Amino acid sequence: MPQNEYIEEAIRRHGRRMDHAERKRKKEARKVHKNSEFAQKVHGLKAKLYNKKRHSEKIQMKKTLKVHDEKNAKQKTDDAVPEGAVPAYLLDREGQQRAKVLSNMLKQKRKEKAGKWNVPLPKVRGIAEDEMFKVVKTGKSKSKSWKRMVTKPTFVGDGFTRKPPKYERFIRPMALRYKKANVTHPELKATFQLPIIGVKKNPQSPMYTQLGVLTKGTIIEVNVAELGLVTTGGKVLWGKYAQITNNPENDGCINALLLV
Amino acid sequence: MASIYNFKKIAPVPEANDFLDIVLNKTQRKTPTVVHPGYKITRIRQFYMRKVKFTQETFDEKLRQILEEFPVLDSVHPFYADLMNVLYDKDHYKLALGQINTARHLIDSIGKDYVRLLKFGDSLYRCKQLKRAALGRMATVMKRQKDSLSYLEQVRQHLARLPTIDPNTRTLIVCGYPNVGKSSFMNKVTRADVDVQPYAFTTKSLFVGHMDYKYLRWQVIDTPGILDHPLEERNTIEMQSITALAHLRAAVLFFIDLSEQCGYTIQDQMSLFHSIKPLFANKPTLLVTSKTDVCTLNDVKPEERQMVEAVRSESIELSQLSSYHDTGIIETRNLACDKLLQQRVDMKLKGHKVSGVLNKINVAQPGKRDTVERPAFIPESVLKRRQQSGEDQMHRMLERDLEVEGGGAGVFNVDLKKRYVLASDEWKYDVIPEIIDGKNVADFIDPDIEEKLAELEREEEKLAAEGLYDSSEETTDEEDVRIRDIARRIRERKQIIAQESRIKDVNRSKLTTKDKAMISSTGDFSEHLQRLGLDPTLADETASRIGRKRGRSESRDPAVKLARSSSVAARAVSVIRDRSVMGLKDARQKLATEKSKNMSMRRMNRMARAGEADRAIMNKMPKHLFSGKRSIGSNDRR
Repeated sequence: MPQNEYIEEAIRRHGRRMDHAERKRKKEARKVHKNSEFAQKVHGLKAKLYNKKRHSEKIQMKKTLKVHDEKNAKQKTDDAVPEGAVPAYLLDREGQQRAKVLSNMLKQKRKEKAGKWNVPLPKVRGIAEDEMFKVVKTGKSKSKSWKRMVTKPTFVGDGFTRKPPKYERFIRPMALRYKKANVTHPELKATFQLPIIGVKKNPQSPMYTQLGVLTKGTIIEVNVAELGLVTTGGKVLWGKYAQITNNPENDGCINALLLV
Repeated sequence: MASIYNFKKIAPVPEANDFLDIVLNKTQRKTPTVVHPGYKITRIRQFYMRKVKFTQETFDEKLRQILEEFPVLDSVHPFYADLMNVLYDKDHYKLALGQINTARHLIDSIGKDYVRLLKFGDSLYRCKQLKRAALGRMATVMKRQKDSLSYLEQVRQHLARLPTIDPNTRTLIVCGYPNVGKSSFMNKVTRADVDVQPYAFTTKSLFVGHMDYKYLRWQVIDTPGILDHPLEERNTIEMQSITALAHLRAAVLFFIDLSEQCGYTIQDQMSLFHSIKPLFANKPTLLVTSKTDVCTLNDVKPEERQMVEAVRSESIELSQLSSYHDTGIIETRNLACDKLLQQRVDMKLKGHKVSGVLNKINVAQPGKRDTVERPAFIPESVLKRRQQSGEDQMHRMLERDLEVEGGGAGVFNVDLKKRYVLASDEWKYDVIPEIIDGKNVADFIDPDIEEKLAELEREEEKLAAEGLYDSSEETTDEEDVRIRDIARRIRERKQIIAQESRIKDVNRSKLTTKDKAMISSTGDFSEHLQRLGLDPTLADETASRIGRKRGRSESRDPAVKLARSSSVAARAVSVIRDRSVMGLKDARQKLATEKSKNMSMRRMNRMARAGEADRAIMNKMPKHLFSGKRSIGSNDRR
C-alpha cells in the first residue's frame, strides 16, 4: 500500500529510468516545435486566449532580457550630482519648492471659482424618452397607455411610498433601484462603496432628476461620513457630490467620481 | 469493518485560473451561441439570462463539490481531526473552506442580481453588457480565491497520500526516540517496507502495516521518533506520533535502545517514557528494549537497569528483541497482541452491548421444581437394541464413512444394489440379462401379458365377425363428383395465385389496385368472364367501342398515306433516332447498360422515396388559412 511520499521513495530506492535525462532533454528541445505547431493550428477563441498569453510572455521575456543586458552593459557610475541637491549649509532652506506649492494652490482656487460645475464628464449623450420609459398598457382591454416604467437604474429615497396604482404615472422597478455607489476619490486614488443620499441633477432633463434616474453623467450626493473628510473649518463632511462615470444600466453597478 | 474515511476520493481542486477556464468553457459549450439583434427582445433576454444562470450554477456546483468532498474536521474521528490539525493547521483549513463557501454565496447572489437586471434589458447590446459584467464579477470573486484553492489542492494531495488507518481496529503503535529500531521492527512484523536508515528522523510521518495474528487482522503503526521536550516545542513530525498515541486505542510498544547507538542515553529515553506516560493510560503498554545483539539488560549499569525494570511495578511489561538477529520479535508481537486482545474482550464484556450477544447464546435450563428425577425418555426398544449390539450404536455407519474406508472420493464406488428389496437377499447381485432364448426380457416384465393378449385377440375376432373390416362398395354419386371437381379447381387456382405472387418481385414498388385495374386488358377481362361461365362477346364489343385507338398514320388508308407522302416528297426526311441506343456498340452492350441502370435504380425504387415529381402537401395547415377569429365577420379574406 503506497503511503506518504511513495513516489520520491521509489525514485530514491530504484532511481529513474535509464534514459530519463535524455527523454527530458529531448522533450524540452521539441517543445518549441510543438508549441509552434499548436500556435499555427489553433483558431477561434482558443487562439485569442493563446495569443494573449503568448504576447504577455514575450513582453516579460523582453523585459528580463533587457534587465540582463543592463546588468552586463557597462554603466556610468552614479557619481553625477542629483538634481536639486544643495550643500549642507543650505539644507534647511526649501523656499523654492514651497513657492511651487503656493502657486499650485492659487491655480486650484482660480479653477474652483471659474466654474462651479466643472465636472469630469461635461457632456453626455442624450437619452430619448422612449429609451428611458417603457409604455405600460393599462385598462381592462389594455387600451390605455398613460403609464410609464423607467427602464434605467433609479435612486429612490428611504421614505418613498408608492402612490395608488391608479394615479401612479411612473413606475420605478424594484430591481433597478440602487442604494450604493462605488465612489472614487480622485486624489486619494481609492474607491469606496458609499450610500447615495440623493440625485442632485440629471443632465438629461429635470424630470429625470425628479425621478432619481441614474445615468452616465448624473450628479449624485453621497454619504462620505465614513471617509472622515473635514472642511477647512474643521467640520466633518458627510454629504458630497459625485458624478456617475459609467453606464449603470449596462454594468449593473454605479461608479462615480467624487467632486472635490 | 472497512475504514469509513476515504480521503483518496477527493476530486482535484483546479487553480483559480483553470477554474475560470473550466467554468467559462463549459458555459460556452453548453449554451447556445448564436443570437441576432433582430430576434425578439424576450428571446435575446432569455439567451443571455441562460448564460448568466448557467455560469452561476456551474460555479455553484463546482464549489459545492469541493465543500462536500473535503472532510469536516468536527465530524471525522478525533484522531484524523487532530492529525489534520497538526499537518494542515485547523484554522487555516477552516478558513479556506469558509472562504470557498462565501465565494459560492457571492457568486449566487451576483447571478441572481444580474438575471433580475437582464429582465429589463431593452437591447441586445445592453443585455450583452450585463452578461459580461455578471461573468466578470463572478470571475473576480473566483480570482480572489486563488490562495484558498491552491492550499486546498495541496491539502488534498497530502490527504490522499496519508496511510489509511482505521482508528477502531486492533492496532499496535510503535514509538520511541529516533533511531531506536522502530521501523526495523515494523519491517520485520509487516510487509510495509518502511525506509530504515542509520540517522535520526528517517521516518517523517505515520506508516501503517498489516499482519495476521490469531486469524485476526492487525494494523501496526510506525511513528516518527519523539524527543523529550514540552508539547509546545514539538514540531509537526513529532506531533504526528503524539496524535496517534493520544487518539488510538491500541497496544503501545515503547522502544528503548540500551546500546545508546541512537545517540540518546538510557536516562533520556526513560525520562521521555515517563513524560509521555499519560498517553499510555488505559492502553496495554510494552517497554521494548531493542538491539539486544549489541547490548542486553544484563550488560548495562545496575542503576540504569534498575530504572528500566522499575516500570514493571506499573504493570508495564518488558520485552527484548533484536531485529538484526531476529530474536524476540515474534514473542514481543504476540505479547502485545494478547494484551490488547484481552483488554478489548474485557472492555466488551463490561459494555452493555455484550448482553445482546450473550442473550442469543443463552441455553435455558428449567429449574427443579421437586426432588423427582425426570430423565430424558428413551424407548424400550432402543435401549434393547443398544444392549444387543453393544458399543457404538449411537454412531451409525454412513455411506460417507464407507467412502472414507473404501479409499475416498473418486476411488470408492457406491453400492446401489445393497438396498434392493427382493424376495431373497441372494438375488441382489444377480446379473439380469436383456435377452433370454431370443426373447426380450423386458417384454415379460408384465405378469399378465399373456392374458391381456388373449383378451385383445378375442375382441378383434368379435369385431371381425360383426363386419367392421368389410370393405364397403364405392358410394359415389353426382354430388360428390361435383364437390371434388370444385375442390380441385380451387386448389389449382390457389396454386396459380401462389405462383404469381412468387413471380412478383417483392422488392419492386407496387402498383395500387386501381392502377392495376387500369392496366388489365380487355382480353384479361373476357377471359375472366369466361372463367366465370359467362359470354364475353358483349363486353368485348363494348370495350372495343369505348377504347378505340386514336387515328394514327399506321391505321390510315395506305393510299392516302402514299398520296400525302408524294405531295411532300421535297421535304427532308427527319430520321427518328432511338436515343437509348446512341453511343452503344451492339445489342449486348445495350443490355448491359440497361442492366446496370436497373441495378442502380433498384435501391431508390425499393425505398420508394418521394421524388420532386411526386405530389406533396408541404404545409397541411397554412397559417393564413386557419388563423383569426371565426365568430364575427366573414372568412372570405382567408
